[in-house]
Amino acid sequence: MTTGIELRNLRKLFDGHGHASWAVDGVDMTIGAGKFVTLLGPSGCGKTTTLRMIAGLEIPTSGQIFRDGQDITDQPVTDRDMRMVFQDFALFPNMTIEDNVAFGLRVKSKRGAYSEAQIKRRVAEFLDLVHLKDHAYKKPHQLSGGQKQRVSLARALVTDPKVVLFDEPLGSLDANLRKIMQLELIRLHRELGKTFIYVTHDQDEAMAMSDAIAVMSQGKVMQFGTPREIYDRPANRYVASFIGHAHIVNATLDSKEADTVTVCLGNGDRVGLRGNVDAAPGSAVGLMLRAEDLAFADAGADTIGGKVIDSLYRGEYVEYVVALNGNSGVVHVHARTDLPPVAHGLAVALKVNPVKAHVVVQ
Amino acid sequence: MTTIERAVEPARTSIRSARAIERRRLLLWLLPPMAWFTVFMLIPYAMLLYTSLGHVDDMRFIPGLSLDNFVRVFTVDPYLGVIIKSARIGLMTAVLSSVVAYPLAFYLAFHVRTQRLKFLIYLLVIVPWWASYLVKAYAWKTILGSGGILNVGLQELGFVHEPVRLFLYNEFSVVMTLTYIFTPFAVLSIYAQLERVPTSLIEAARNLGADGWMIFRRIILPISVPGIVAGAIITFSLAFGDFVAPVLVGGPDSVMISNVVINLLGVAFDWPLAAAIGLVIITLGLLLISASGWLEEKTQTRF
Repeated sequence: MTTGIELRNLRKLFDGHGHASWAVDGVDMTIGAGKFVTLLGPSGCGKTTTLRMIAGLEIPTSGQIFRDGQDITDQPVTDRDMRMVFQDFALFPNMTIEDNVAFGLRVKSKRGAYSEAQIKRRVAEFLDLVHLKDHAYKKPHQLSGGQKQRVSLARALVTDPKVVLFDEPLGSLDANLRKIMQLELIRLHRELGKTFIYVTHDQDEAMAMSDAIAVMSQGKVMQFGTPREIYDRPANRYVASFIGHAHIVNATLDSKEADTVTVCLGNGDRVGLRGNVDAAPGSAVGLMLRAEDLAFADAGADTIGGKVIDSLYRGEYVEYVVALNGNSGVVHVHARTDLPPVAHGLAVALKVNPVKAHVVVQ
Repeated sequence: MTTIERAVEPARTSIRSARAIERRRLLLWLLPPMAWFTVFMLIPYAMLLYTSLGHVDDMRFIPGLSLDNFVRVFTVDPYLGVIIKSARIGLMTAVLSSVVAYPLAFYLAFHVRTQRLKFLIYLLVIVPWWASYLVKAYAWKTILGSGGILNVGLQELGFVHEPVRLFLYNEFSVVMTLTYIFTPFAVLSIYAQLERVPTSLIEAARNLGADGWMIFRRIILPISVPGIVAGAIITFSLAFGDFVAPVLVGGPDSVMISNVVINLLGVAFDWPLAAAIGLVIITLGLLLISASGWLEEKTQTRF
């Protein structure tokens, strides 16, 4: 028996205007109890549908959902005891903030769980938790977006669910507010110890908050791992290019040893790096190069040659666009702003950080 | 110096004339609605007031400045009584229409998935309006009458042995007919309100464990109140002023206020009294609309 949520070969067929397509196409995942797990991907990748199936708002076409080892695939949404925070907040517009937060408790109290006095006390406690004590008697339309989102959060948390689901909850907030709410969510997750399952298309948000990220594309999970694994050791080209704007240069696997790999670029430059790769020497691979892992150097062994074609002043650093020799590809390089600027058209040599550079096969 | 002044002068006139053009254009835009309002509202109301203050002598209208006709509306039988009865019929129609309309509007808003089916049902609601009002009122005569489908059905099933005469020619049949005819207005007005409820609200409530009844009572019904009020006002007003249903399916005692006005105009030739009744009804109508407007505003949910 596993604790937490387990998805087994979960699929969902959507029938849109005559042609059906798999919105979710065979998702397998185990989400440990108390973890903060993010489903990350572009719109239409199936992340929201997966979340809605976990909540019980969508019925899977096939596959199973387990919770603490128990099959809940057919359990009605009202019995699941997982609370969802919606992108549009979904606050009840006819009720005060207090009544909104109390709604879930009142539903339970119909079965004799709470007295009205207990409800009042608990609601006040949770409004305090999200810093909205003074707004209890307002209506939702009187609050700002960030405040509405916190009401929505309090409403989800007040019934003490084991699992909280988030459907792009910060999507409609401005950048500064998002940062504040991210910290708030991390704090709540740490303090309450509940399982958070979070859907977003914002990779910075996913990286900053999650214990684990599932990168999704076209209804499938491309990689499921910690933020560090996803960023440093992407499993394939898709994940590498989706996360952190990595550039992938076509290369051939030259040789590999116990923990070092040498690849050969189209122009003949060779690069040695740490790590391992699941391919035979001579096969075509992709070399993932991120701007922060490249630096200008003197030409020599283990450097790659190119020509500066553009530069962007970013304040924190200068970003150079370098076309590699022999049309092997284009990479970006970050350089310190206090160094003398490199002229456009100048031939340069780049040194690759052998620990951070990574080879992808697929 | 002079050359500079001359250079500035034309520019200033052009600004002034731009303002003048703006003002003239505004006047031009305002003219049609003002004319419409004067010809179709102001003058008729003034004529109504003028007529109501005079009296009729030997079949001839004598202008005057007397409030006698208004006193007669409130003191002479049966005018006030008929107004009250008309209001009662209007109220029953409004309540019954809302009750009949709500489930349909609810179904249309929340359970019809495809646009095509939605359009079809919408059409079915509106289509009876393509048929003449008289035909529809007449149809109820054949449904409720002694030889009508209702009585025949009840006899065939053995519930009664002879035709029930209670169905037709009384207030019941008038309310039934009016409800049938005016319910579409209630459907459309309630539907318009229900359609504003986002699906995520219902999903959020279900996610919090609420059953269907609780979602309806605590969320959907409160949000739909302004739609119910608006629909009720329309059906009430239409039923209150109706004069066909009482004639066709009403009994000898189910005369409504519009029938009285028609009789005063055509048979009794007492135009001043008819005008006075008209003004009383218009005043009541204005009060009602203000009250309902206030109620709608008060109960309107802001999203």
